[in-house]
Order: sequence, then structure tokens, then C-alpha cells
Amino acid sequence: MTVAAIEARGLTKQYDNGRGCRDVTIQVGKGEAFGFLGPNGAGKSTFVKMLVGLITPTSGTANLLGEPIGTLASKRLIGYLPELYRYQEWLSGEEVVRLHAKLCGVDRSVARHRIPQLLEEVGIGRRGSDRVKHYSKGMQQRLGLACALVGDPPIVFLDEPSSALDPIGRREVRRILERLKAQGKTIFLNSHLLEDVEALCDRMALLNNGQILRHGQVSEVLQTRTRWRFKVGGFTPFLLSWLNDTTGLAITLAEGAAASAGAASGLSACWLEAELEDEEQVGWINSLIVQQGMTLYEVTSVRERLEEWFMNAVSGLEHRGERG
Amino acid sequence: MTTILVMTWKELLRKRVMLLTLMMTALFLLAFWFVADTLSLDIPEDPMSGDYLIEQFSRGSFILMLGFFFGSFVVAFLSIFSSFSVIAGEAEQGVMQALMPRPIPRSQWYLGRWLGYVSLGVLYALLLFSAILLVTDVHSNVPRDFGALMKSYLLFASTVPMLISVAMLGSGIFSALGNGVFMTMLYGAGWLGGMIDKVSGSLGLDELVLKPLNNITGIISLIMPSDSIQRRMLSELFSYDEMDGLVNFSSSFNLFSLDRIPSNSFLVYAAIYTVAAFVLGMLRFRRKDL
Repeated sequence: MTVAAIEARGLTKQYDNGRGCRDVTIQVGKGEAFGFLGPNGAGKSTFVKMLVGLITPTSGTANLLGEPIGTLASKRLIGYLPELYRYQEWLSGEEVVRLHAKLCGVDRSVARHRIPQLLEEVGIGRRGSDRVKHYSKGMQQRLGLACALVGDPPIVFLDEPSSALDPIGRREVRRILERLKAQGKTIFLNSHLLEDVEALCDRMALLNNGQILRHGQVSEVLQTRTRWRFKVGGFTPFLLSWLNDTTGLAITLAEGAAASAGAASGLSACWLEAELEDEEQVGWINSLIVQQGMTLYEVTSVRERLEEWFMNAVSGLEHRGERG
Repeated sequence: MTTILVMTWKELLRKRVMLLTLMMTALFLLAFWFVADTLSLDIPEDPMSGDYLIEQFSRGSFILMLGFFFGSFVVAFLSIFSSFSVIAGEAEQGVMQALMPRPIPRSQWYLGRWLGYVSLGVLYALLLFSAILLVTDVHSNVPRDFGALMKSYLLFASTVPMLISVAMLGSGIFSALGNGVFMTMLYGAGWLGGMIDKVSGSLGLDELVLKPLNNITGIISLIMPSDSIQRRMLSELFSYDEMDGLVNFSSSFNLFSLDRIPSNSFLVYAAIYTVAAFVLGMLRFRRKDL
């Protein structure tokens, strides 16, 4: 039987103020990249902190590659970049990474070779000899990534790894994560940057108010929600109700200034939008539009972004927010 | 653990805590030199007379008491302020969140930090102890019994692990700022209790007043034994038991009176107090959510 990289069963942390997370059960396979999403204050960081041994669960169990969380054996398997952290300001960046290498038990000769390489890779380079107090927030985040990776761990927990980085830095971090994934590392990614999750992760879970709301394959989530847009010339509002009645589908005017301007005038082209299951339905709607004597200029598929999925998933739900 | 211990030394050196302490100590010793010089000006100049020897010992004792009065404060505050925010402060800043997921037992981290602070504190105490003795010796006379000197140094330095253990325990319970206030108040209470104990004898108070007062100061010294330990340190330094007939320690120096000297049982209590604070602090830290 294959041991999961991360396996949590009913993991719960209840704080006196009602915060924390409840009954979280997930399984992440070896070499998988897992995205953990949720609004602020949903309990994502609490869950990760339990997995890395910073806080003790109220109930439930979890294992990392078969080792119970909080044990030294499980800590040897992980690299962790916390969301809110600061390194010792009186050390240089290189000394911080060396300290973490020592605590991870990395051999001195290996560390001597690996540390400069890592500092280069995360974009710190020669500034590794500067004291951490002179680092910007982005530099500290890069340093955090180097510390998380210095022990060459099979599982990497990253809590908002690029929140303080500029677009170039974000791209570099994404490249590093892609490389880690290619090396077969298990990546657990807590991020508000949904494009990172979308680009990198195989599976994901959505946490709200401390509980898993949805989970599944990223590709499935995005595929089932494919929308199509039709640019129609000579559109009249009558066509919309006729199409809806005839097809039984929910076809709407696409949002956007150009689209609505066209619809209001009742003359020029406008965009219609519908969620469709397959391309056969697209062909059917095409024929219906042409059948009504209108011109079909363009048909495009609009693959739903994870951000929209996230917004849809949490909209209308009560969530406690950062300050509850 | 060695990594953490070295990190703690580096922290105290890089943050210039030790440098600042040493600079202020140099200033204190300079002032102390002049005070000691002034106090020894009118000692009768007949080295062969018994009065000369007694007077010189009395003056030397007074100068030493003065020096250690300040010295105990410095050692106590160095111990408290170097360690009061070690857990709460680092957790609030986020340093702990990056370090604690590493494969190192929390108990080893705690012990490493404790040893780091204690070793530097004890070394500093040795430096200060020697400097005070040296300055006094230049101007007057100091006891030269190595056994007595050793015992009194160990007692002088014993407040370092005691205060650091309590400060680290508090740091696992309170916020950094809260623990700073708590430790200052606690040490202050111990000092005040000792002071009341010293002066109450000379106020000529009725037994009805003295008894409850003694009870209160006794309880205070149980809560914070540091001041009582310092009194015992001075009594060991001056071999109080042997010299009491020759030198009147109580009437000469009210503030530094050595009337009530803590017993050996009290020293055992102080040792248990230190160990208990250390163990409780470690247990608390092992279970603490960061």
C-alpha cells in the first residue's frame, strides 16, 4: 500500500474564540502539488501549523509519509515557509540558512555547496552576506524559501510564498516550485494567488470557516465550468428569450460595456454567453442563431479561471474574516 | 542544542547587549574607584594597631557592600532583560514559526537558550565580582580566604540561573512586554522585602508590628529569593559568624545590615525554586502553541 505524503483525518483545532479548523480530512499523494484555498481567517494557516508541529491539534490525527505530525521524524521530512515570520535580524542571510541547515542535520560539506547555490536560486545572491535587518520584505520571503528548501525535504509547506514579491519575483518563485514538482517533491501551497495554484497544483481544497467546503482536481473544477461566448450581429432582445425557451439553457448577455451597448441599441453586434457541457451544444446554438436570420461573427470558449471559481464558491457564504 | 547555545551567544554579542553592559560596567567601576578612594581616606595610619586592622576591615566591608549592592542589581537586570522575551517576543515576531518546525526537540531548544544566557550571565558576574574585589583591595582590605570568596561568588552568580529560569517561564506564559513588567515587579518586590527586613530591626518597632512584618518579608523572600541570597553571599564573604563580635555589621550600615542571614535550608529552597522554574518553563514551552 502506498503511503500518502500528507494524510489528515478529522484534524481539528478549536480556539476559545471559536476560530481554528474543524474535522479537516485530506490526503495528498507523493509528488503531488496541493493547493489550499480559502478566504482570510478561514483556518488555512492553523491547519498547516498543526501539520508542521507548531500547534497541537484538539482532536484528529495526521501523518506525513506515515510519520505522526509533531514528531522529530515527521519534522525531518518537511520544509516550511510560514506566512508571518521574521528571521534573526542580527544574522546575515547566509548565516540564517546555515543555521537552518544545521538544525536539519545537513552535512557541513553538503551545506557549503548547497547554501550559495540556493541563495543564488532564490535571487539573494551576493546579498547573502548582508544582515537580515537590511532585507526588504520580498528579500526576507526569498530567504524564507531558501530556508525551507535547505534540508532538501520531500514535503514542502508554503504559506503565501510570494505575497511580498514583485511580478518578477513571483515568476521566479513559480519557476522554483515547478522545478521542485518536477523533482517529485510534494508541495502543499497555501496561497491567495490563485493563478499560482491554477498553474502548479494538481488538486486543491477550499476551506471556509475552518471546514473543507470543496475539494478535487484543479482540472476538473475548471473543465466542468467551461463557458462559451457568441458574437451575434443584428441582435434583438427577443432572440435571447427565444433561445432560452428553445434550448432550455441559461443564455445571457455577456457582461461588459461593449456587449451591453450593443444590446441596448438593438442593432449592432453583442456577446451572448452560456455554460455548455460539450461542443455539440455549441454547434446547436450556432445553427439556432443563424436560423433566426442573425449573423454569427465569432464563437469562443471562456475557460473559467480559478479566481472566478473561488469567488463563486464563497459568494453568499458567511465567512468570519480576519477579525471575526 | 550546541547550535542554539552558540546562536544565543551570537545574539547577545551582535545585539551589543554585552558591549553596552561592559561599557556601563566600566563607568560604574570608575565611579566606584573614586567612592572607595574617598571612603578610605581617613583610616588611622598605624598598620600595627588592632584598631587600624578592624577599621580597615570595616571600611573594606562597607565598600564591598556598596559595590555588591549595585552589582547585584546589574547582574539581576542583565539576567532579566536578556531573557524575558525569549519565547513570547520571538513568537510575536515570527522567529519561532520558522525555527520550531525544524527537527529539534523543544526541550533542547529551551535548554540551549537557557545555557546560553546563563553562561554569559555567570561569566559577567565573575568579571564584576572580581572587579569589585580588586577596586576595594586597592583602597582598603578584602577577605582573602579562597573558600569564602568561592562560596560568595557562587551565591552571587546563583541569581543568574534563578532569574533567567523565572524570566523564561514567564515568557512562555505572558506577552513579552507583560513578562518584562512582571519580572521587574517580582525582582523589585524581592528587593523591597529584603530592604524592609534590613531596616526594620533598627527602627525600634514593637514586637506586635515586627512579627507580621517579618512574616510578610518572609513570604516575599520565598516568592523571590534573590535578595536573601545576596545577603547570604555577603555574610559568606565577610565570614560573618567569625567576625560579628569584632565588627558591628548591623549598626554600622543600616541599609546593608546582615542581621537576618538566610539559613542553609533557605539555600536549598532557592535551588529547588530555580530547578522548579526551569522545569515548569520547559514543560510549558513543550506544550505551547506558536
